[in-house]
This record gives sequence, structure tokens and C-alpha cells, in this order.
Amino acid sequence: MSAIRLENLVKRFGSFTALKPTNLAIGDGEFMALLGPSGCGKSTTMNMIAGMEEPSEGRILFGERDMAGVPMGRRGVGFVFQNYAIFTHMSVRRNLDYGLRMSGRPAAEVRRRTEAMADLLGLGDLLDRPTAGLSVNILQRIAIGRSAIMEPAIFLLDEPLSNVDAAFRAVMRTELKSLQRQFRQTMVYVTHDQLEAMTMADRIAVMDHGVLQQVGTPLEVYNAPANTFVARFIGSPGMNLCAGRLAQTDRGLAVDLGALGLTPPLPPALAAAARNGRSEVIYGFRPEAVHPDPAGLRLPLIVAERIGARTILHLGRGGDTVRAVFQGNPDLPADEIALAPDPAAVRLFDAATGAAIAEA
Amino acid sequence: MTTDADRPAATRAPADEGARLGFRLTLPAQVLVLFISAFPLLMQLYISLTDWSPLTGSPWPRAWEYWNGFANYLDLVSDGRLWRSIWRTLLVVAVAVPIEFLLGLGLAMLFVDDFPGKRVAYSILIAPMMVVPAVAGYMFFMLFQSGGPVNGLLSLFTAEPVALAWLSNPSTALVAVIVADIWQWTPLMFLILLAGLVGVPQDQLRAAALLGASPAQRLVTIVIPRMKTIMLIALALRVIECIKIFDTLFIMTGGGPGDATQTLSVYIYDITTQDLIWGYVAAIALAILVVLSAGAVWAMRRMAR
Repeated sequence: MSAIRLENLVKRFGSFTALKPTNLAIGDGEFMALLGPSGCGKSTTMNMIAGMEEPSEGRILFGERDMAGVPMGRRGVGFVFQNYAIFTHMSVRRNLDYGLRMSGRPAAEVRRRTEAMADLLGLGDLLDRPTAGLSVNILQRIAIGRSAIMEPAIFLLDEPLSNVDAAFRAVMRTELKSLQRQFRQTMVYVTHDQLEAMTMADRIAVMDHGVLQQVGTPLEVYNAPANTFVARFIGSPGMNLCAGRLAQTDRGLAVDLGALGLTPPLPPALAAAARNGRSEVIYGFRPEAVHPDPAGLRLPLIVAERIGARTILHLGRGGDTVRAVFQGNPDLPADEIALAPDPAAVRLFDAATGAAIAEA
Repeated sequence: MTTDADRPAATRAPADEGARLGFRLTLPAQVLVLFISAFPLLMQLYISLTDWSPLTGSPWPRAWEYWNGFANYLDLVSDGRLWRSIWRTLLVVAVAVPIEFLLGLGLAMLFVDDFPGKRVAYSILIAPMMVVPAVAGYMFFMLFQSGGPVNGLLSLFTAEPVALAWLSNPSTALVAVIVADIWQWTPLMFLILLAGLVGVPQDQLRAAALLGASPAQRLVTIVIPRMKTIMLIALALRVIECIKIFDTLFIMTGGGPGDATQTLSVYIYDITTQDLIWGYVAAIALAILVVLSAGAVWAMRRMAR
């Protein structure tokens, strides 16, 4: 019952279209991350699901039920705000049991459920403390508990970790994931941090400029980006994307990257798909998926960032640069490096549309 | 006698030295302030213990010649006109301030969200506050004439034309005065409460709504607790101001008919300018100051808790 379906959802603010027609199906009990840079429409989408904003067009369905006109208090949706929106003039207990009190449940039930929720979240000792002055991690747990106590079928989280320091973020990522397993709710998680999306989500919906770019599991999105935006946005650093033109060599079809040189021949399946009447392509490969190869691209080294576990190389000629990531601290030649992308990791994109060229 | 300069400098703590120097440097200003605030009070206390009035012919420093001890204060307790004027003042406060508060709060709630024409409506709403009280008094004097617009408006809803002489009827004059006060001072409540409402975190209201709280529940559990301080400030301001109500009222009714709208300020004005019993006036003014100060201290103690 708690699956979410967005059908041709559109949101306009005046003449600005925050969300272009979007279709998205989120399964019952699924953890879906809406990922994208600021202003991509992810929060707008979430606010419409919660009922805080009315869609300009399209429908939102929970299960089979159309949510148009259902006020936000009646949607059965739990919402965790970016700043947690804790009622700071109330104690921890009053925050946790707020929803139950407002719906007029009997006092004994309110007490029992509040204490159970507090124990679950490790807030038992804090119940009668004022919320003002509590640390961020406690506030976040209160925010989650306050929504979870209403047993919503759908949980929406709006960048809940963006106010938290890096060390605690790692702790909260695992905590959130385990909470979701416990509650078994459908979760929609808005974030601009791909690490959060990759580590927690079952599936990721990547958005940009109000357009849904790709929906897929973290590895699908990482390995087979649907277009150049997703390729560049996912991964740290993002995928290398070099404009080039297809060139026939004696060893097979390759891509001429201009100043960067000629790539190794493309894998046969990709070559077959690439030909298809075009000559301009964008050649993409993950910085992590390269190996030293004397027959590959020979590129001058600009900068090497050594960060202990990994070494990030910035290579290039003219204005074109490519990044490569090696594990550990390899010895490097001072001037020029010869490397080739792993054949299975090479992706081609249409130069005009930016869409991925799928293998035939 | 030892002065500071006689003692060796090393025995004095430097902080002590600084404080003393500061005291000396600010002494002239402090004396001036003390004189401005304390002198009139002491003069008032002095005169309140005498029967002195300007008609006696003696200058005020020689008021001791008319010494009557605490007779003025004893008179005050049994002065029926005084007590009736206090009662009337409290009635005006008790009716006008809550109505102003509720109207102001309601209007402020309407103005939290945007609507077309909000800026114009806002300007119109706060305009009454800008009107000089004497002018407002004259406006309402005209409005409440028996052939005036108020009766004209009421006539629309009644079978026969209303020809009520609002301001010369002892039982309606106070109503007219209260209406004028509400008209003029609701905007102040509105402004203060709007500032408070805007300061209520929107996220908390949304969070409450998402947890199923109705608008009324949100008002009681989030808005009012968050606005408590600002509400108390708005109420305190208006209560204090309203106790002093004078100018608009005086233009409208002059305290009449008879003494039907004679509030505390009007009563004091009357006995100052007409009866010229300044010793008694000083006693009343001092007594009011003491009572109001005690009330304010009590209210602030309660607020602090």
C-alpha cells in the first residue's frame, strides 16, 4: 500500500519550471534517494509527495490512492526536515509524543508508545530533558522518532545529514539504514551527497534542472550512466569525458581525442553500436578503471594528488584534461604517463544529446 | 583624614582604581540625571503633604506654611470621584485591550501568508496609528454625532433610522470612546504580533501539520508558546498606555456627559486646572505611581518565572 507513483508530475513557480514532467515509481519498502545538485527539483518533488506543495500538473499516488487534495497531516507521511524542526520549547517527551497527543490517543497508550520509541532510539534517559541545547545527533534522533512514532508508511528525509560533521555522518548513515530495516517503511531520501545516496539507497533517482536523468541501483548509476550529466555527477572524481571523433584503425574502431591522442580500439560490441551513422562521440571512462599500458594514451602529468590510500593524477595536453586514480602510492615517471582505460569500463555518449550509446 | 592621594599607590587594586576614576568622571552626569528624576518626585512628595495651591500666593518652596501632614492621602481613600474614575479607566482597559489584542492577532495571522494587494492593505491597516490623537478624537466626535455616519450605518440594519446621541448619553459615551481607542491602537497590536508571528519557525509549523495537528492545535502548541514573550510585551505596552488614556477621549467627550467618561487622567486634569488643589493632585499622582510601579514589579517577577 505504501508504494509511491509519480505520474507526469510538474511543478511551476510563476514562469519558472522547477520540475518538468516526471514519472517515477518507488516500491513498497524501498529506500529511494533523490540525488542532484542544488536547484535540481529534488526537494520540490519531496515537498509535493509530503503535500506541502501542490503539483502544477500530474498525479501522486500512494498505492492506488490519488493524493490530490489530501492535506499533509492526513497522508500518513513522516518527514524529517533538514534542520530537524524540533519544537525547542518542549521537552524530548513532548516532541516524541506530539503526533499522538494531537490525534487524541489515550494517555496510557501515548506513554507506552513514547517510551518504547525512546528506548529504541536510545533516548530513554533524556525523555524529560528540554530539547534546547541538545546535540545535533540527539536532535536528529528526536526528529526521526517523532515521525516514526506515528508509524507512517512513508518516510521522507530532506538532507538530514547536511548539518552534521563528517565523522558523525558516517555513523548516522549506518544508523539510518538500520532504522529503515527496522521500520520497513518506504523511504525517500533527498540529498546532494552521492556518498549518502550510494551507501544507503536501494535505488537512486538522479535529477538535474528539474529533469529526472536516471533511475537505478547505485551500481547501475555508477557503471552505466544514462548520460554525461550522471557520468560526471556520480563518482569522486566523476567520469572522464573527452570529445572526439570515431576513427578506423588497423586494429579496429577507435576514438581520436585530438590533442589527447588516439584511444585504444573500442570493444567490438561498443564499436558496432557507436558506428550507426555518427562520427562525433564523447569518450568516457572512470578514473579508477585505468591501467598502465605503453600502447595506450600518452599523457603529460600536470599534478599528482597523493592522499594516502589513493593517488589522483591530473593529466592532459592543451585544455583537455583527464584524471586517473591509482590505489596506494605508485612510483610515477616524472613527465609522461602511458595508460589505457579498462576495455569493459569504456562508455560512449552521443556528442549532440549527451545520452549514452548502448551496446547493441 | 586620609584621601586616596595620601595612601601609597601600590596598596590600591588597579580595578578599584579604575572604578573610582570612572565614578568621578561620570559624577556630573549622574548628578544631572538624579536631579532630573529625583527632584520632581521630591517636590511632589513635599507638596502632597501640604494644602498649597498657586492661589495661595506663596511660591511653592514655602508650601510648608500650609502643612497638613497626611490629610491629602486620607482624603484620597474616601474620594468617590477618584474611585469612580479609576473604575472607568480599568473598564476601558479591560474592554479595549483584549479586543485590540484579538483583532490584532487575527489580522496578523491573515498577513503571514501572501495575498494580492497585501502591501496596500498593510499600509491602510497601520494608518490609524499615524493619525494625531487629537485629530482622531475630532474624527470620532463627528462620526458619533446623532446625525453622523455611525448612526447612518446602523440605520441600514434597523427599521427606523437610528438617532442615538452617542456622546451625550452617559451609557453610550464610554462605548464610543472605547471604539475610538480600538480603531487607533489595534494597528500597534497588529504590527507587534505580526513581527512575532513571522518569527515563528515555518518548519516547526509544517512539522506539526505533518504530524496531524489541526490549525487550532498548531496555534495552541506552537504559535502561542513561541510568541508568549512578544504577546506579553504587546499587552503590557497597551495596558500601560490605555491606563493613561486622555487625548482622543478628551476631544470627544471632555470627560462628560457629567463624569460618564471621566477616566483617571481626565479627573486629574480637571482637579488640576479647575479645582486647583495641587497638594491633593500631587498626592493622587504619587499614589498612582507607587501602585503602578508595584504592579509592574509584580508582573515582571511573574514573567521572569
